[in-house]
Amino acid sequence: MKFASSAKFAAVAVAAALALTACGGGSTSSGGSAGPVDGKGKKLSVLVNSNANYPAQQKQWFTDIAAKFKAQTGADVEFETFATANDELTRIQTSVVSGQGPDVYSLGTTFTPTAYATKAFVTLSDDDWKKVGGKDRFNQAALGISGPDAQHQAGIPFVSRPFVMAYNKDLLKAAGIDKPATSWDELAVQAKKMTNPGTGTFGLATGYKDNFDPWKFIWAMSVQAGNPLVDGKSLKLDDPTVKKAYETYFGWLTKDKVVDPASVGWSNSNALAAFASGKAGYLMMTTSSSVPTLEKSVVAGKYAYATMPTTAPGETSPKGDAANAASILSGDNVVVADYSKQKDLAFAYINLITSKDEQLNYQKIFGDLPANAEALKSLSNPTLQPVADTAAKSKATPFTGAWGDIQLALVNVVVQSIPDLSKGSVDDSSLQARLKDAQTKGQASLDRASK
Amino acid sequence: MSTDSLTAGKPSRRKSSHAATPGPQSPENAPQRRKGLSERNRPLWMLIPGGLLMVIIIVVPLLLGIFMSGLDLDQYSLRKWVSAPFIGVQNFVEALTASPLLHAIWLSVSYSLLAMVVTIPLGIAGAVATQNAFKGRAVIRSVFLIPYVLPSFVVATVWRTMFQPGSVIDSALHSVGIDPGLWLNGPQSYWTLILVQIWASWPFVYLLALSGLQSVDHEVHEASALDGALWWNKLRYVVFPYLKGPLALAFLIGMLHHINNFTLPFVLFGVPAPSDVELLPILTYVTSFQSFRFGLSAAMAFISLILIAIPLFVYLRAVKLDDAETPGGKK
Repeated sequence: MKFASSAKFAAVAVAAALALTACGGGSTSSGGSAGPVDGKGKKLSVLVNSNANYPAQQKQWFTDIAAKFKAQTGADVEFETFATANDELTRIQTSVVSGQGPDVYSLGTTFTPTAYATKAFVTLSDDDWKKVGGKDRFNQAALGISGPDAQHQAGIPFVSRPFVMAYNKDLLKAAGIDKPATSWDELAVQAKKMTNPGTGTFGLATGYKDNFDPWKFIWAMSVQAGNPLVDGKSLKLDDPTVKKAYETYFGWLTKDKVVDPASVGWSNSNALAAFASGKAGYLMMTTSSSVPTLEKSVVAGKYAYATMPTTAPGETSPKGDAANAASILSGDNVVVADYSKQKDLAFAYINLITSKDEQLNYQKIFGDLPANAEALKSLSNPTLQPVADTAAKSKATPFTGAWGDIQLALVNVVVQSIPDLSKGSVDDSSLQARLKDAQTKGQASLDRASK
Repeated sequence: MSTDSLTAGKPSRRKSSHAATPGPQSPENAPQRRKGLSERNRPLWMLIPGGLLMVIIIVVPLLLGIFMSGLDLDQYSLRKWVSAPFIGVQNFVEALTASPLLHAIWLSVSYSLLAMVVTIPLGIAGAVATQNAFKGRAVIRSVFLIPYVLPSFVVATVWRTMFQPGSVIDSALHSVGIDPGLWLNGPQSYWTLILVQIWASWPFVYLLALSGLQSVDHEVHEASALDGALWWNKLRYVVFPYLKGPLALAFLIGMLHHINNFTLPFVLFGVPAPSDVELLPILTYVTSFQSFRFGLSAAMAFISLILIAIPLFVYLRAVKLDDAETPGGKK
């Protein structure tokens, strides 16, 4: 029995839990949207991701929100946190099978399709939307990954975290560059000008060993070249645009030599550290949550954010809708569990945290942009302006339950290529073979999704 | 149960009624009569609470796991998992033919064996070196145990930091003119894993070897000294035989522990893992919690259970570790 892997063990444990609680579930809440919800004596359970950068502030935020919620509804809120998406997934699986657990979950945007596929969360009716303040309250772009279509949406946008690049104004100026690149080709040219291995300065800072960043680059460059990756029921990773994307991404290290060779072992935080020490011209794939780190670093006051290039490698201008694919649609959604017996209370909580004031307050503490349209508009911080602009130019990743697998396959190509990368070249045939493998795995997963 | 408890209180009656069944044993094993007596009076009913827990915690989940391995269970059918389509042995076929399962088993078993082969001599050496009293022995012994007491997660995090490209290990090797290449990716990652595993688990062998050494009677040392045995002969013919039992146990537990070790490779290499270290627990984890193929991963887990249970069973019979009453099993 020792050999039963933790995976199997967890799954059967939740199965056993199901057996014990199979009789649970049943009646759901009802009631109109009018008037405040009376939650006296009730307790709402909320699962959110723990904020590793600001643990103390997060604790304070929990206390404050709980107090406000109590004043509004009379109900208590109990916050639980998870450290990684995997933690959360395990939690969702347990709750889905047993029919009990948190009432409200916070989900990363790219994880929303997977969660939606379990059918464990409330698809909001018009009435439900009213309870959270109306659909119009939100930045409309942020609704792009709330569900498969406008009629079936489960995810309520909470914050936006669009991906941008940061640049070191001094380094760009010294290299005679007057404005940040808008195409990937131009980016490489500019990066070359700033690279000086003698002083340990490199044009770009990025982490090849990051668990997520690589697929975002490949997605962006492919989408900008007109390949949405998922086209109906077929996956298109064997497309030349994808190969070109990988070649460009690897090329920074192998051909252009504009990144630190050590970055084959870096994650995003290592890249951030390199940029913060003033040793990199551009920091790729970052969010506004890097502000607090950068403000305390030697580049404080010398950096700015910019939208990442939207012109695909080899192109001269944005193709088709490419200009609107500056970043994946990123941030957090909140969802209400289908099994919850206090859905109205859950909606009241979401109404509170997505209100303009609370959203602005959240932005001030944690740096994430508001999903509330009015709050987003009222932001006047010039540093954040490019980030806010990018929020409107973000494109949703394909809404399929297979996306998790596809993402994994895309990252896996990079993971398996790292030994080649560190030797200085990724040869064509092995890249081709890895892409083929990714295509096969991803397509199999997509087939299951569309079954 | 109630009758059992009654009869257990009346050994004499119980004895007579039992005498008929294990009869043939008693005349043959006359010298072992004492054992026969105690065996008859065992209040076996007392095992019921524990047995019940075992059934709930081990047998039921195991059966559920086997049941799941026959289902096409994924994120789409998870919510009503009992009604997920039953697909017979298809998961097993897929696991064996279309997944890297066999490769993963090979990696897991070979890495465990290699790590054990190195840790056993290391453990014995450590135990022998700290056997005789010397100044500071207590300190040395405590230091030896540090890797064993540290949580696996901490060990892996620290080693991962040290193995980063351009980090301390690289710069140390560079200073003596060696370019070590990548530690956490590519073919070398397999050896990195073995190295860290050895570092983390040799104190376990050391502990068991130490316990074996302490059971060597003082007279034996004296006798061999009188016979003029020098240190090597003494070790080889006097001390090592005492260590056979504890070391066999260390080998067995160590192997099982390594094969099941999830934390170390997961923290060292992350997910998706480089294909050179895609070990059995990692593969099962990814299949379950990244690809959401619960049925397939249950089949994988079951196959690995069988594959490892067979040699384990043979081995247990051979060293008779499962039979505490057989003399020689452990000394």
